Parts: sequence; structure tokens; C-alpha cells
Amino acid sequence: MAVPVLTGFSQKVVVGVADFAVSNNPDVILTTYSLGSCLGVTLYDPVARVGGLLHLMLPDSEIDRAKAAENPAMFVDTGIPALFRAAYELHADKYRVEVCVAGGAQIMDNSHFFNIGRRNWEALNVLFAQHGLKVRASDVGGLVNRTMNLNLETGEVTLKISGKPGETPL
Amino acid sequence: MKELDDYINQTQNLPPAPRVLPELLALLNHPDSDSRRVVNLIQVDPSLTAQVLRASNSVFYAGATPTLDLREAVSRLGFSTIGQIVAAATGSRALGRSQKGYGLDEGELWQHSVTSAVAAQVIARDCGLDQSLAFTAALLHDLGKIVLSGALEQRYEDLVSSVEQQQQSLVEAEQRLLGVNHAEVGGRLLARWKFPAPLVTAVWFHHQPKSAAPHGRLASCVYLANMIAYFLGRGYGRSAFALRGREEALTLLDVSADRIPHYMIETHARFTEVEALFSIRS
Repeated sequence: MAVPVLTGFSQKVVVGVADFAVSNNPDVILTTYSLGSCLGVTLYDPVARVGGLLHLMLPDSEIDRAKAAENPAMFVDTGIPALFRAAYELHADKYRVEVCVAGGAQIMDNSHFFNIGRRNWEALNVLFAQHGLKVRASDVGGLVNRTMNLNLETGEVTLKISGKPGETPL
Repeated sequence: MKELDDYINQTQNLPPAPRVLPELLALLNHPDSDSRRVVNLIQVDPSLTAQVLRASNSVFYAGATPTLDLREAVSRLGFSTIGQIVAAATGSRALGRSQKGYGLDEGELWQHSVTSAVAAQVIARDCGLDQSLAFTAALLHDLGKIVLSGALEQRYEDLVSSVEQQQQSLVEAEQRLLGVNHAEVGGRLLARWKFPAPLVTAVWFHHQPKSAAPHGRLASCVYLANMIAYFLGRGYGRSAFALRGREEALTLLDVSADRIPHYMIETHARFTEVEALFSIRS
């Protein structure tokens, strides 16, 4: 997990595939590139001004228990709790945080053999329902590769779609 | 085939036919190959030799002491790693640039290619296929895009609307707009360059593995590797995911869909190697 330091300058902290970061440093913009079938999950507490970004890869830690123990960020059911716990350490509140989700792209597939993107999104929704959590905004599915940013000063979440110019707010 | 020749002749920056790689693949395929023959073959191309030495001494591959001697590099890293480095050095000459007709910025096609290559090796090992051949086929699977990009640049909006409005796959859209598709063009170009027949066929049919007989398993491996690179976010351009699900790829490889997440995990675990291959650029 990346731990940014307070510098007074706007700094981009890049979160890799199957990784997450949290921070209460308003200088920081958390960014994750290359969300394909993976999901990017941001949370932000506007009062505590704490935010986090998770880049998860697969729906269920049952796929590889040993990997999940070593790297919980890889899976929905271990990554989401890890993200929330890290944010609570920085005094984020469960019912104050706003969650945004992006990614989960899908190929053109009627066979349902290649539906990792959709399964990631479904697993996240099941988990959120179990814990009474809501997603404030999402941009999930489709044929596109996305980059996701969270500005920790404002809580603003933006997306960049591969092959299209500019960033759009989510 | 006239259209194809037209496209190839119009392509600017098409690299010269690689001389070393097709021969090297044949050489590596024989377990009793002599390392002197491998060294002699690579030395035919001085800039390739320099790239192989530079890569051999990079952080990822280097041992305790750097080497300036190709023979030593070959004996230290082994045939298969040297083969990968030569493939990457060769492939990067063609695939490193931006391809505007596909909305691909500089380095993006190359990043996709090296990720696919490593994924193909993961799958090949699991399915008992030739790993060097799978690696190289996946590395070069989108070669046809560098030929068609120029023609698609003028029709980019048509391409985008074919995919986004009419729900056509990229291959279908290319076929409709140009009468050819990047997989076939890549296969034909590699055949012209005298690459081994299984590799040519696997590239040609990497979106239709069922039609690749007798090399359906290798084509299926490249098909899945390509898809895994997209899943892991190493596929770019607008509507990168415009490819069809081909369940026959699983049947041909005799694996269940449950293996796909494992292939993703293993490929992700080898991202450092992907980066090392990515940096082998001329």
C-alpha cells in the first residue's frame, strides 16, 4: 500500500492492479490506470476528508485462498473490507463515505464463459447489499478501458476513457 | 491477393522482414541445437545483437556481473529467454509506434503485445503447448494492425460507429470497411516473412480459433492470451473489448472457464517480466 507524504504540492499516487491506497493528504490525487475487466473502487469521507482507491481484479477469494492472504486487494470479498478498514484507521465513517465504481468491461460474449467483468460487479453489489452500503455513482461494463482518479481535496472522481480525449467527472 | 498487397505497399514505417527470428524459432525448436549456431545467427544483425546484450544486462535479467559477450549471455540466460528477448527486440520495431487508425498511442500496442505474450506462455505451459512459439505468436498477433492503421485513420469515425452503434466486433468492422481484417493481414505478412506455419496460422485465426486447424490449440492459446491482456487493462484504443467470445477456444485447449482467473493471476504475477520486455524497444 502506498503511503503519500504531505508536500504542499499536488501529487499523483498511482495504484497498481490488485492494490489499494488510502490517504488524508489533500495534496494527493489517487490514480489507477488500465481498468479492463477489473473494478476501480473509490471511497471518500467529505467530513474527515479521507479517501481511498482500490483496483481489484477478480470476484471471489475462493479462486486462490493463498493469493488472497498475501494480496487481499486482488479480490472483491477481501479487497473491499481491506479498503474500508484502512480508511477507518484514518477516521473515515462507514455511513459518511461516498463510493464510486468504474471498470468491469465485457467482451462481446453470449457464452458467459468470459464474463469476469460482470461477475466482479455482481460480487461487489452482493457484498454492498449485505453491509448496507450504497454506490453513489458508477460507470461499469461496456467495451472500454478506463483510468480513474480521486482528488482528495475535493472528493471529485474523474474518468479517462482510452481512445477518447479528456477526463469526465463521475 | 491484391487488396492486401496494396495495403502493405502503402504502409509507411513497415519494418524490413526480420531475418533472424524465424530461423531462430526453428533452431530453438530442436533440443539438440548448438548454442554456437544461435550466437552466429543473432550476430548477423548488429543492432539486434546490441539490443540482446543491453536487455541481458538489464536489472530483470542480469546476474551479478554484466556481460559484453553474446555467447556468455546465451549460455547464462538459456535458449528460451534469449529467444524471448530476440522476439521482443524484433517485435518492438514494428509494434512500438502509435497506430492512429485504432486510436492507439505510442507504446500502447507494444504494452498489449508483451502482456499477451507472457499470458500465452502461462497458458501454453498449463496446456502442454510449445512455450516459445506461443510467446512469439501472441507477441506478434496484432502485427496486421500496423498495416491497416493508415487506411482506418481516414475512416476512424466509421470504425467507431460500426462498433458502438452497430455492435460489430473490431474484426467485423474492419472486414466491412476494408474487405480485410488485421488477423488475416498479420498472418499473411508473417507467412511472407517465412515464420513457421503454426505461428502464421495462430495469428491469422486468433479471433476464430475453430478455423485454425491443425493449429487450433495454438490459435486458442493466442485468443485467450489476447483476451487476458484486455482483462488486465493492457488493451487500449476506443472500444478495446470489441471482440467475440469463442467458447471453442476452451474446448480446443481442453480447459474449463474456471482456469481463466488463474491465468490472470499468473500473468499479473509476471508483470515485472512484462515491464522488462516492454523496455526492450528500439
